[in-house]
Amino acid sequence: MFRKKDPEMAARIPPGQHLTRGWPVLSASPVPPFDPKTWRFRCTGLCGGADWSWDEFRGLPPVTITSDIHCVTAWSKLDNTWDGVLFSEVAKRAGVKPEATHALVKAPYDYDANLPIDALMDDDVLFAWNHDGEPLEPKHGGPLRLVVPKRYFWKSTKWAIEVEFLDHDQRGFWEVRGYHNEAFPFEEQRYSWQE
Amino acid sequence: MGADPGAVWKLVQRADELVKYAQNRDPHTAYAQARAVLDEAEALTGQLDQKAAENFKAQIATRREDIARFEAQS
Repeated sequence: MFRKKDPEMAARIPPGQHLTRGWPVLSASPVPPFDPKTWRFRCTGLCGGADWSWDEFRGLPPVTITSDIHCVTAWSKLDNTWDGVLFSEVAKRAGVKPEATHALVKAPYDYDANLPIDALMDDDVLFAWNHDGEPLEPKHGGPLRLVVPKRYFWKSTKWAIEVEFLDHDQRGFWEVRGYHNEAFPFEEQRYSWQE
Repeated sequence: MGADPGAVWKLVQRADELVKYAQNRDPHTAYAQARAVLDEAEALTGQLDQKAAENFKAQIATRREDIARFEAQS
């Protein structure tokens, strides 16, 4: 529950949000199947290209990052510890080209979310395979999801399997359905009409 | 005339939430409820000006396509 007497914690809750201790499950699509033998992660578009198996992806240099989640449906969940690999590391290994300004991070069932490269290169943005020390559950995006703490959580693509690097912005799944292109929680950028 | 575009958007959002939480429930029931809410939203677009109505109708049509696709995959 929201602890009004803790000003430090209250400052971490964006306007219009309430704190949850659970982790609500939201997903437009069904949970896609995962087979570590056939799973691939690809980088496409303005980069040299990359195509990793599950074992190869898990062999990338790991990091551990603790951050907060803010869902556009108005719940926030604090102090999540993620293990994974930095987006910047993936981009570097994929040979992202200087002309790339944006990227779409994609999942099965035609889901994607768009962000500027500069936002994705932040040192708190990662592809996570663990949450609080345990493998990420399929219902929460396992085996691998993007985590972008500074944006509403729909930008943190579940079941991530591809990054497409672009030289322009291209709205993703929810962004073409009336949700905000930037999605900063502390500015309460929820809907496209606010743009 | 005189309908509130915000009221239409609230119904569209309600349909979105039904879809997003569908995997926690019986998905087919949730999708049916989302379709009914979209029908309600579309009925309200008749009270909006033409541009707003067309915009909402396009958003509603996209969501109906999404639901059909997700339902086939469930």
